[in-house]
Amino acid sequence: MLRVGGAGLRARPTRVVLSALGIAIGIAAMISVVGISTSSREDLDRRLAALGTNLLTVGPGQTLFGEQTHLPSESVGMIGRMDPVTSSTATGVVVDANVYRNDHIPKTQSGGIAVLATRTDLLETVGGTVAKGTFLNDATAAYPAVVLGHKAAERLGVAAPNELVHVGGEWFTVVGVLHPAPLAPELDTAALVGWPVARQRLGFDGYPTTVYARSRDDAVHQVQAALAATANPEHPDEVEVSRPSDALAAKQATDETLNALLLGLGAVALLVGGVGVANTMVVSVLERRAEIGLRRSLGATRGQIRSQFLVESLLLSALGGAAGTLLGILVTTGYATYQDWPSLVPAWATTGGIAATMAIGALAGPYPAIRASRLPPTEALATP
Amino acid sequence: MTPVVELREVGREYQGVVALRDVSLTVERGELVGIVGPSGSGKSTMLNLIGTLDHPSRGEVRIDGHAVRELSDRALSALRANTIGFVFQQFHLAAGVSTVDNVADGLLYTGTGLGQRRQRAAEALETVGLGHRAGHRPHELSGGERQRVAIARAVVGRPALLLADEPTGNLDSQSGDGVLRLLRSLNETGTTVLVITHDREVAATLPRRVAVRDGRVVGDG
Repeated sequence: MLRVGGAGLRARPTRVVLSALGIAIGIAAMISVVGISTSSREDLDRRLAALGTNLLTVGPGQTLFGEQTHLPSESVGMIGRMDPVTSSTATGVVVDANVYRNDHIPKTQSGGIAVLATRTDLLETVGGTVAKGTFLNDATAAYPAVVLGHKAAERLGVAAPNELVHVGGEWFTVVGVLHPAPLAPELDTAALVGWPVARQRLGFDGYPTTVYARSRDDAVHQVQAALAATANPEHPDEVEVSRPSDALAAKQATDETLNALLLGLGAVALLVGGVGVANTMVVSVLERRAEIGLRRSLGATRGQIRSQFLVESLLLSALGGAAGTLLGILVTTGYATYQDWPSLVPAWATTGGIAATMAIGALAGPYPAIRASRLPPTEALATP
Repeated sequence: MTPVVELREVGREYQGVVALRDVSLTVERGELVGIVGPSGSGKSTMLNLIGTLDHPSRGEVRIDGHAVRELSDRALSALRANTIGFVFQQFHLAAGVSTVDNVADGLLYTGTGLGQRRQRAAEALETVGLGHRAGHRPHELSGGERQRVAIARAVVGRPALLLADEPTGNLDSQSGDGVLRLLRSLNETGTTVLVITHDREVAATLPRRVAVRDGRVVGDG
């Protein structure tokens, strides 16, 4: 039966390729959408595993009346003394200071770079690394030295340490440039100066604006719940606690909506492909009336004619499905390699894709097959 | 012994148009019969009825002792597969398929395995004198050769009855003679052969002629 069905397809290769192509595109679209989003999630999971999901940040919120508050200066120490917290550090926004490449730049062109007073143990806690030069240490923290975030360095046009930039009306020496910090993206656009020098020279008020805390993995939720009260026991409601890894995961979640849309488009393509297969089979039945008549005269029952055309449409869709799956995996692998992600196509997507094509074939097949089987043999033979 | 073909007062109408009326005909085993008549005389309708591809509006058709009216689609198909062989004016060979596989298709619906089908097809090709053409495709053959392939396909299952509808209609006279010789030699080995033709010359070579005109049998002998 497979042989007879296959022979019908072999006789018309171009049409087979074209109508299988419709199905292939649909399946490829669906599989690559699933594959790419799975790969990107896998990449995120691996990145989060490397960065750790145990980093928490604490910042000042607003009072009941909408006024901006500040964290008490002791909050860093209080948080650091919480039992499950393994390390903690803080930065404070130096409100009155901006960074410029030199003293000729107009005051309004601050480039969106924040000046942050920074404790010297910042990097260990947030998991940042220095790209060039060194980070601030106890010595440089008291002097006009600055470490630039990845984007800040780019915007200021600072390629290497030892250049001078103008911070809050004074010349500061760049001692280091950071790598991008995925869990603390605010550092990317910041110029980091030492806590003491900020107080002495830049008019910093000394209040931390962000406290970073690493906790033990098993106690992240407990710490998260207790952080507000620890940071500001007097007004716990005026403290904002967040978990940066959650923000990354949430960004991923918004992509899911887009994926659903693309998946829907893939389904439409698949449907159109299925209609294409049905159409091909209907045309094929019309065209092969003589063959049907001959087969009936050779002793084929109606059922055998029906199965022949059913098998043909199933083979046609299976061909499209297999090609589409392969194409989808190729697209996923290609895109994932391009993005430097691990390439991953879930098994349920491939099996689901193939099952979908078989379903399409089974849906597209019966109508033409039944038409073929109902064709009176005399009429079928009468057509030249 | 039961006759191979038995028509009793058979009539056939198509949407009010009478194609055949009150035809009675008996063909005994081993006969070589020509059904002769101009186009539109109803001879193709007769062939379709005898070949069980069509049902009569009235009367009874018995093939090899089976009353066609009483058989299911499955039983009719089995009858066609095992008892009747068809040869058509247009050959109806599958393009792009080798000669031997075309002939083997004659056994496709008899429940014979592929190896056996091919072997018997090769033998049938030898019988029609085309053993050396087994691997060729239909478009590589002449018209006469194609019709001989079609005949091989019709007789590969050793049917009791061979129906040939204008077998020489698309052939030049030389190839046509070859095909007729082949049909005659098949008849000599025991196959009952019915040839439908409008060609009087062809008809003249056949031992028994049934003349059909306007849906009636007007002569037999």
